[in-house]
Amino acid sequence: MKIRFKLNGREIEAEVEPNTLLLNLLREHLHLTGAKYGCGIGECGACTVLLDGEPILSCLTLAVEVDGREITTIEGLARDGELHPLQRAFLEEGAVQCGFCTPGMILTAKALLDENPNPSEEEIREYLKGNLCRCTGYVNIVKAVKRAAEEMAR
Amino acid sequence: MSMWINRIDTHILPINFQYHAPKTLEEALKLLAEYGDEAKILSGGTDLLVKMKQRLIEPRHIISLRNLTELRGIREVEGGIHIGAATKLREIERSQIIAERLPLLHEAVKAIGSIQIRNMGTIGGNLCNASPAADSAVALMALGAELHAQSIEGERIIPIENFFKGPGATALKPVELLTAIRIPPPPENYGWAFRKIGRTSLDIATVNAAVLLTLRGGRIDLCRIALGAVAPTPVRAVRAEEHLRGREPTPELIQEASELVVEDISPITDVRGTAEYRVEASKALVRDALNLSIERAGGGGR
Amino acid sequence: MRQSFRFIGRSTPRMDGVAKVTGREIYASDIYLPDMLYARVLKSPYPHARVKHIDVSGAERLGAVVVTYRDVPDVVYCPRLVSTPEATYKDWRVLTGKPLYVGDPIAAVAAESEELAQRALEAIEVEFEVLEPSFDPLESMRPGKPLLHERIRYMGEEVEVENNIACTMEIEQGDVERGFEEADVVLEREYRTNRRYHCQLEPKTAVVRPEPGGGVTIWTTTQSIHNTRLLIHEIFGIPVGKINVVKTALGGAFGSSIQTNIVVPIAVALALKARKPVRLAYTREEDLHEHCAYQMIFRLKLGARRDGRLTAGSLEAILDIGAHQIQAYPLLGCLVGWWVSLYKLPNLRYVGKAVYTNKVPSCAMRGYGNPQITWAVESLMDELAEELGLDPLEFKLLNHVGLGDLFWGQGPTVKSIIKSSGVEELVRRGARLIGWDKRPKPGAQRGRYRRGIGFGRGFHTSSAGAPVPGTVVDYTGAMLKVNEDGTLDYVTAMMDCGGGTLTAHAKIIAEEIGVPLECVNIVRADTQTTLYDVCTHASRGVYAGGAAALQVAREVKRKLLELAARVLDAYPHALKIRPDEERGQGVIYVEGVEGREITIGELASMARHKNWGTIAAVASVRQGSCPPHFTAYFVEVEVDTETGKVRPIRVVAGADVGRVINPKLAEGQIHGGFAMGWSMALLEDTPYDPRSGDLLNKGFITDYKLPTARDLPPLEDFQVFFVETEEPTGPFGAKGLGEGALNPVAGAIANAIYNAIGVRFYELPITPDKILKALKGGERR
Repeated sequence: MKIRFKLNGREIEAEVEPNTLLLNLLREHLHLTGAKYGCGIGECGACTVLLDGEPILSCLTLAVEVDGREITTIEGLARDGELHPLQRAFLEEGAVQCGFCTPGMILTAKALLDENPNPSEEEIREYLKGNLCRCTGYVNIVKAVKRAAEEMAR
Repeated sequence: MSMWINRIDTHILPINFQYHAPKTLEEALKLLAEYGDEAKILSGGTDLLVKMKQRLIEPRHIISLRNLTELRGIREVEGGIHIGAATKLREIERSQIIAERLPLLHEAVKAIGSIQIRNMGTIGGNLCNASPAADSAVALMALGAELHAQSIEGERIIPIENFFKGPGATALKPVELLTAIRIPPPPENYGWAFRKIGRTSLDIATVNAAVLLTLRGGRIDLCRIALGAVAPTPVRAVRAEEHLRGREPTPELIQEASELVVEDISPITDVRGTAEYRVEASKALVRDALNLSIERAGGGGR
Repeated sequence: MRQSFRFIGRSTPRMDGVAKVTGREIYASDIYLPDMLYARVLKSPYPHARVKHIDVSGAERLGAVVVTYRDVPDVVYCPRLVSTPEATYKDWRVLTGKPLYVGDPIAAVAAESEELAQRALEAIEVEFEVLEPSFDPLESMRPGKPLLHERIRYMGEEVEVENNIACTMEIEQGDVERGFEEADVVLEREYRTNRRYHCQLEPKTAVVRPEPGGGVTIWTTTQSIHNTRLLIHEIFGIPVGKINVVKTALGGAFGSSIQTNIVVPIAVALALKARKPVRLAYTREEDLHEHCAYQMIFRLKLGARRDGRLTAGSLEAILDIGAHQIQAYPLLGCLVGWWVSLYKLPNLRYVGKAVYTNKVPSCAMRGYGNPQITWAVESLMDELAEELGLDPLEFKLLNHVGLGDLFWGQGPTVKSIIKSSGVEELVRRGARLIGWDKRPKPGAQRGRYRRGIGFGRGFHTSSAGAPVPGTVVDYTGAMLKVNEDGTLDYVTAMMDCGGGTLTAHAKIIAEEIGVPLECVNIVRADTQTTLYDVCTHASRGVYAGGAAALQVAREVKRKLLELAARVLDAYPHALKIRPDEERGQGVIYVEGVEGREITIGELASMARHKNWGTIAAVASVRQGSCPPHFTAYFVEVEVDTETGKVRPIRVVAGADVGRVINPKLAEGQIHGGFAMGWSMALLEDTPYDPRSGDLLNKGFITDYKLPTARDLPPLEDFQVFFVETEEPTGPFGAKGLGEGALNPVAGAIANAIYNAIGVRFYELPITPDKILKALKGGERR
């Protein structure tokens, strides 16, 4: 089946099977390996991408279902080589350790800040609870999201 | 089944099926009529695809609701509030109407999964998955919701009470599609509460409970208590409700009612909790939910 | 002192950070090669069985390449190569015809797509003879129980296994009986730990490419590229030089890849047969059937006099190791080491037994038995203090193993003297910050919500270095060379599991030489281009790895100064180097003489033009000591006595890690350690279904819960502080941190729960179910 969708700002076309998962389309066919397989059943959030700006699980999404929609992956977040404030804040606050959860975590945080530019700590924690991290205990991640929100407000 | 472990590959969806994305409801119903048992409805996919990956179901046809905009949306209608079955959980969570008119549903929906899950999952999917632990189900039970099912034969209305038939089983016939949920307008000055216990903040409920009640002259009038994950389907705590009706909500009465909950539940022990724990937690949740509801209904509370 | 450092002690972003936040970092599971086949593994559905018949023709008809237990080399091995042969038992094969747990690999297929490979896998037919399984180590040890392994290999010989006991260790010092007689109070308790799963975010993966000439290139999730290489040599006989294991980023490990994961030899076998690259990526469910932490049963007895002095201790430990030995014997040694290095025991007896069961093989998990025994000891010391009428803080401080004491955390063959300790200050400052004096009396509260404060302290080693060789391999290698523009290439085999190890190395190099941090380029290397490093484990990354980095930096600096002295017409020892951020490199100058300077880039270019050669250094370094880093946790919890739920209220965590190299990343270790300890205490376990013999959750993490961002304390209620000491044997005085950050957490939480509700728990995890049951029964021991 042929599908067309916008990927990181670019129109693309792809040939997929009905059972092709969006995650595998991105990673194996489009060579965007930022989204990770962590569990395959929607529990960990490592495969998070943005669909029309909203975080979704690409491991539970049929590729055919994104036909005509817009997908943003972590690779599409930095524009013209300039890191997104969230990416900078994750670096500065030491919010990255092994980094495997980071792409999904940053994308979910982006959706949060797009929707709510000044979230409370509780709102941040609630919004990020679908992205598991085994390294950081989330402390520096929450700090990074707060910092990015402050920077973006300037 | 003994080689089941080798049939799981959650990297992929190791099942071949035909994918249909009907443009109209009529088209969808025709497909259902044609394929019946062999077809599954794809609404959000967060339960369906997991079950397929776990090889619990292997549909030959997938009928996607993605193009059926008529199955989406929330609006006030005569006789209550109408929610299209394919409405995303996030949309319900964000809806002004729901937040103001049905805060109980708002809170229950917010308790479902993660942001990602709620961006994908739909209210109809949450109900049709028929998990005994479904958070939306207990809220809709307390709210006395009616479910609209359609087939090419026509429409029928199923009270939510009669909808669940067991884990994963509903009253829907294979040719029927859940199209809408209709919630009657809640009574004046009602009190409500939703409570959930999971192992973590991101979990299927070990136990969940929803309460809706009204007070008249300082006595409990209308009262609905629904519990999840403590029986093969979400259940009403009928004995407790009866005990409360027409009486003044004292701490003793609440305590008695919470003890009566055991009459209507039949919890099991599984990896998420023991039966004994579910009994104790049910009582605690019902107590909490009743107290909060009474307070919200303008009663003295605890 | 601190001000004199330019990089050490200041927070700097990790050097692989940009790649990680932009999704450009490459993990083993991100490797896809041209013409690559996808592999799938046929796993045993039974916990104990024998394959009577296997028919792979269906898979082959689909075009898949298949290997079974009959096709792999007849080699019995141990997948972990950290210990010397004296401490290594071997009981593994690449694939098996006698599966010992649900999930044990029997055969594997490779095909052009994962879909096809999966179809091929499902086309394999196997007939099993089902054998009697054993899931409980105490059951397993009963005479007459079926043996998992009849014979295993040790030092090149076959040895018989009796009663499923994989190995044992006994140690006695002093006169234990007399010690207990001298005590005024003796307490004896039995503790049972949970069977946790690492749940590192990246499931185990191996990608193997056969090379012309018979070699292989391997990308895999590993904590040790060199040990992976040596193991593949041992199993397949491929010359070491023809095996190249390439470093990739690692999506967490926590000990689960100290050993070479089973995906590696299976993928090698398939790639050799297929003569094509093979990718074997485990699913999460397979990963949960691949490894778990050691579950332990302790019978722990401690005696003390009224004055608070411990007089004797005895520990009987039974380790449920699952179906294979990965490092059971070395663990028996470490376990006693962790135990005796917490508190001074003038008389002690230890009996450790590791027992086979038909469950997923156990391996090290952050702390390597230390979190388990520290939970038990910290619980019993708390209990003992109460019996003695002493403040647990004072009781523990009085008896703790500290400065000047003999320390053998890494076991009886790794002994050294403690030369730095901040224990006393950790405890005192932490107590002040949490308000220890104001904590409630245990069990005195009555309301629904009850709060309590608990204290736990602990340590972990920094490396397994020692003055004498012992039975643990512990050394590392480093290379450093100066490029023509003044940048430096730093080459090490050491892996960064996420802790920021290699960033710390870069800071040590930049500090020592005097160059901007950005000048240090961490080379993504492989086994062919690096010196041997044993493994990133034992919290040795900064202490042991950093020591090698420091040594090559010193050597390069010496050479730079020597060459610069010629050019600047000055004496080498009178020259200085400063990092010049504007010029983006180091500048060598003569102090006090203006204009007499040269950049490192100019000097390196000159060295090239004048044919002086590359300015470089190489070193293989062994640390002659094994200093403990210390931690102390004060945790306040709230118990809901109606639901049994426990909520974190406040955490104060202190650490003595010697000199802090990178504060934010160091704090991150504490944050992560607390989160892991929180769920160790309250949440995590992998119980088995005795009927199917499989994990109750069948491998789905739907039922292996980890805390989310919502389940942990708010920022302002999580306080971390460091007590800086100067470890004389560490690079710039630094020690380790990764494991000490976790070890005392469960003990502190258990003590806090006791303080809140007056009930002690002797089994982990402390679930709401157990709490309600205990409260209902009024149980209080």
